[in-house]
Amino acid sequence: MSWSLWWARSERDREQQFEIRSSLIKEVRKLAEQKKVVSIDPATIEMIEKAAAEGVSTVFERAANMRPCPIGEEGSCCAHCAMGPCRVPLPRNKEETLEEHHKRKGLCGATAETIAARGFLRKIAAGTASHGDHGREVTKIFIEAAKGEIEGFEIKDEQKLLQLALELGVEIGDRTNEEIAIDVGELLQQDFGRQEGELTFIKRAPLKRQELWRKLDVVPRGIDREVAEAMHRTHMGCDQDYKSLLAHGARTSLADGWGGAMIATELQDILFGTPAPAASQVNLGVLKADEVNVVIHGHEPYVAEMLAVAAQDPEMIAYAASKGAKGINLTGMCCTANEILMRHGIPIAGNFLQQELAIVTGAVEAMVVDVQCIMQGLAEVANCYHTKLITTDARTKIEGAIHMQFDAHKAVESGKEILRAAIDNYSNRGENVRIPDVKTDLIAGFSHETINYLLGGLFRASYRPLNDNIINGRIRGVAGVVGCNNARVGHDDVHVTLVKELIKNDVLVIETGCAAMACAKFGLLVPEAAEFAGEGLRSVCEAVGIPPVLHMGACIDNSRILIAATSMVKDGGLGDDISDLPAVGVAAEWMSEKAIAIGQYFVSSGVYTIFGATWPTLGSKEVTDYLFKEMEGIYGGKWDFEPDPLKIAEMVINHIDEKRKALGIDKARERVLYDMEMRRELGKV
Amino acid sequence: MEYIVEMKTAPGREEVEILGATFEEGKPESYQVGRWRQKLESRQEKLKYLETGERYYYSNDWYGSEKRKNPA
Repeated sequence: MSWSLWWARSERDREQQFEIRSSLIKEVRKLAEQKKVVSIDPATIEMIEKAAAEGVSTVFERAANMRPCPIGEEGSCCAHCAMGPCRVPLPRNKEETLEEHHKRKGLCGATAETIAARGFLRKIAAGTASHGDHGREVTKIFIEAAKGEIEGFEIKDEQKLLQLALELGVEIGDRTNEEIAIDVGELLQQDFGRQEGELTFIKRAPLKRQELWRKLDVVPRGIDREVAEAMHRTHMGCDQDYKSLLAHGARTSLADGWGGAMIATELQDILFGTPAPAASQVNLGVLKADEVNVVIHGHEPYVAEMLAVAAQDPEMIAYAASKGAKGINLTGMCCTANEILMRHGIPIAGNFLQQELAIVTGAVEAMVVDVQCIMQGLAEVANCYHTKLITTDARTKIEGAIHMQFDAHKAVESGKEILRAAIDNYSNRGENVRIPDVKTDLIAGFSHETINYLLGGLFRASYRPLNDNIINGRIRGVAGVVGCNNARVGHDDVHVTLVKELIKNDVLVIETGCAAMACAKFGLLVPEAAEFAGEGLRSVCEAVGIPPVLHMGACIDNSRILIAATSMVKDGGLGDDISDLPAVGVAAEWMSEKAIAIGQYFVSSGVYTIFGATWPTLGSKEVTDYLFKEMEGIYGGKWDFEPDPLKIAEMVINHIDEKRKALGIDKARERVLYDMEMRRELGKV
Repeated sequence: MEYIVEMKTAPGREEVEILGATFEEGKPESYQVGRWRQKLESRQEKLKYLETGERYYYSNDWYGSEKRKNPA
């Protein structure tokens, strides 16, 4: 049964569609309720059991005891003014009549469509604001580092700096890297507060895509401006046309993907190095019983970078030894982990849903957090063990945690101070230590630049081999599998099942975020994983020496996927826009508002994007229909929703096959070698 | 270097000697091995690489699928 069957619009089909929809909703809920496996990761299961035995509450236990609010889940609740919150849920167990539909209004008269669209736009705005604020902070540090105002940070990747200088028209000549960097940083800084015009990196998109955005009037003017306007439009009594709200959603999301997120990625690459292949390990087994374990968790890399520097300082190592530890073991969690993994090969302790479980091992001296995806539950879990939960950013304080503000102006000393606090805590470690003996090898570091280099070499770097192998059918297409974990679905299960099915069907997978960690845990991010791939994909992976699943970085680095897709377009042979590519985006275990912003900028950039777990506009058939169907006619990309990973794989493959057909590469073409006689015949025509 | 010679046959052909692979098997020793960007040392080398390797974006005369008489 296809999910898209749901959305027939005519009155005639309503009854039939209601039956289909009801059965699908029942199916999803049944799956959720009967879900026996909360995780497929043995380390996670071991620690959930340890937590339960020790009476520690975790997200898994809370998810089992509290169901999601059914009205909020479908986007039918409006709390934008004090006359509400107004609830306008779909009728349960029956199809609504037109009369009932007209009655589904808030006190101000806002329809279910307006309420669902406003909620959706606010999610996009929150996600864009998060990535934008990350980018703003990176830009500030970048400029200060270039001006020599802060210590510990320097220009590590001159080539990337030159790349941006060329792009922004900054004079290179014989100027120092620092002089160039100041100009680059200050030009990009303007993108945050720009009131009119276009964001700088919009010009990176395929020409046809830029033309479409301009025609639709969705080119973002300034990152902050689009977020602020989204909040204004969704205020009580403002924009009340769901199509208008969602058009601004497209514009706001582009200010994320081609704006804040892209600026953050690019400047981080200059400051800390553009990722190149790095071998490492993943899962809770990377914690060490005889060393000071420091887990760095969040999204922004500069605290982690300084901790990495401080952890190698002989003074700090000696200090750890003086406390009886054999060393300092720095590991990552969530997307900060991806940042330091991609650039330094620092191992990953786990993904989003494992943050509390790392503490449950009893072996973590300090969990150091920066911003985003940090559960407040960590404070309570840390309180059950000896772990110090240390917040480092004034934007993310947690009651019960120790706040040690990271000062970029004294970055190395700040890093050392945090490490000292962790080392001092080593002697407080209790008896209840159990580190799961589970860890897996992985290769990360596949930035756009590295993929380009690996495919062609230093003297002929190119996406041509990728495009050629898509055209000749060895690679069926490309899927960007990204996003979070969600405690409402089996942890890692959806990601891993989906990706295994995709590579088996010759779909090259590129990943970021917690999705990449999930697949890494199951051995899919090493070249040897080619054995799980279809014959065609396997042959390409073996020839190039890459895994069938490429780790491209943190969730902020989804902007790298946009550049990779654009490079495929620009290389030629696969159409002249991202929407022509046999490519799909998936966030099968999504949970954060950032994921919605990312998904929308994929869609606005022309990508068919499928989300699993849940969908936040089901309360409005019209809004969902617009996102799932009509957007394709406008942007060339559209949304879709499917919780079952095997069905997602089927949808991905079907879409890729449709795109291949449209490109005329769905079947082998007969090749005729002309002999001289045939050539003479041609000449007569 | 020790050469590996294999005997191969083909339809309608006699058995022939074929020189086997001469490359060294990849044995990555540390994450440093993957650091390809450090191979480019001077600023000129880096700029040249951008013009060729990243030609989609930084070359004036190569636009791939976007090389057209009437740009979009």
